[in-house]
Amino acid sequence: MEHAIKVTGLRKVFGNHTAIEDISFDVKPGEIFGLLGPSGSGKTTTIKILTGELGQSAGEVSVLDTNAGSFGTADFKSRIGILSDNSSLYERLTVYDNLKLFCKLYDAPLDRIDVMLEEVNLKEARSKVVSKLSKGMKQRVLLAKALIHQPELVFLDEPTSALDPGNAAHIQRGLQKLNEAGTTIFITTHDMEEATELCDRVAFLNNGKIQELGSPDALRYKYSTHAFHVETFNGEWLVIENKTENADKIRDLIASGQVKAIHSDNPTLGQIFLKVTGKELV
Amino acid sequence: MNTQRIGAIFEKDLKDFMKNMMLLTMPIIPIILSLIYSRLGGDEGLPVPMLYLIVGVAFSSVTASSMMTMMAEENEKKTLRGLMMSPASFMDIIIGKSLVVGLMTLIALTLSLLFIGIEPFLKIQVIIGLVLLFLFFLFLGIGIGLFTKSVAATSAYLMPVMFLFGFTPMMGFLGLEEDSIVIKIADLFPLMQLINMHETESWMSMGVVAIWTLAAAIFTYICFKKERTDD
Repeated sequence: MEHAIKVTGLRKVFGNHTAIEDISFDVKPGEIFGLLGPSGSGKTTTIKILTGELGQSAGEVSVLDTNAGSFGTADFKSRIGILSDNSSLYERLTVYDNLKLFCKLYDAPLDRIDVMLEEVNLKEARSKVVSKLSKGMKQRVLLAKALIHQPELVFLDEPTSALDPGNAAHIQRGLQKLNEAGTTIFITTHDMEEATELCDRVAFLNNGKIQELGSPDALRYKYSTHAFHVETFNGEWLVIENKTENADKIRDLIASGQVKAIHSDNPTLGQIFLKVTGKELV
Repeated sequence: MNTQRIGAIFEKDLKDFMKNMMLLTMPIIPIILSLIYSRLGGDEGLPVPMLYLIVGVAFSSVTASSMMTMMAEENEKKTLRGLMMSPASFMDIIIGKSLVVGLMTLIALTLSLLFIGIEPFLKIQVIIGLVLLFLFFLFLGIGIGLFTKSVAATSAYLMPVMFLFGFTPMMGFLGLEEDSIVIKIADLFPLMQLINMHETESWMSMGVVAIWTLAAAIFTYICFKKERTDD
């Protein structure tokens, strides 16, 4: 399989509103791909089209070598996992009963329940009724539900948005482990640190258009000013361009004992997003 | 269709039903009503329209009401979308839920009929008629539950369903003339057709009930197509 996801000229129109306007991208098998954008940029619409919840107005969509017309089949559905803003749990049932239902629906062995509860750090909540759980705990159960059948490709819409930093870090480590085991991950997030840490490549989506696409490192390099910021002991900040002719200047500064610190000038993904789209990523 | 998935949905819905006080109280309504009516019949037993009134109450307050409440709650809490995005087909979901609703209806109806006299219903033609009527109320419940976005809103739809289709024999007590248009229309309703079938053994009435059931099935299908995607 050459591509886990291949999208060509995708367009989605709701009445007079164009939610997605001619976007194209691909996701390689085993990749963690991040779709970043502010609220209303079209991230959730894209996920819904890729999972078959919505039909596209134009363009070609292929997921796991399956065309959009076959997204409704049981075979396709059992190969993907979804955690979206539409995901929810049966509040009157226990965590175990919720996961047991989806184990049976996906034909997964029941011992996956305890494995997943361990993964999302919720073993102690196994017999708790879902309505008694905090928002963060529910989010972790939803993540366990999305991964219970060991899908080849997982769509995660803001998976750590309701979590405290400790649990968010735990989930991120879990996702990295999952990815190392071969699972392809398609993620949307507002958290730029998370995107930088997790994603092999990211796409910036704004007003339904992809405005930038690449690896976080490549994007940071592309939007860097290619200069060093040198802090001296007398409180001065010198900006020296990263050019061969400036090598002597930097060496002389170090040799004179004036240099307190040297910083490279790589912007964060958040800063790049602001520069590209003129919008904060909230 | 997949029996394991149907079984999983049945197990989940049965557990959920037993923990939902709103649903649990519905099967009590026809049982209490039949207990009260059983005191009225005397030695001759209740007239046929009164017997079918109990049947109508059981099917509207248990079958239709439970089904629309369960579907509407799945819609409101967004859990239905989760089921639909799983390998379970719409038929698996509906059959799993219908088995729970069917079980509860069977318990409520059997107990109710035991109080008012079950003998008049132990005929093959009547049983087929009751099965068709059950399916009619079931489809109505599924369809309304699919387009209703909240459990609270279901009561607005349940009232007309109960009064039009569950309490149809009560139209006779409105003091309207026999040849009034309201009575003539009400006579075409499924419960009145079953009463007619019971009294005359006419298969034509069964055909009319079958048409009502088919119409309810089409209504459910249209609601499902609308619910399947966000388009």
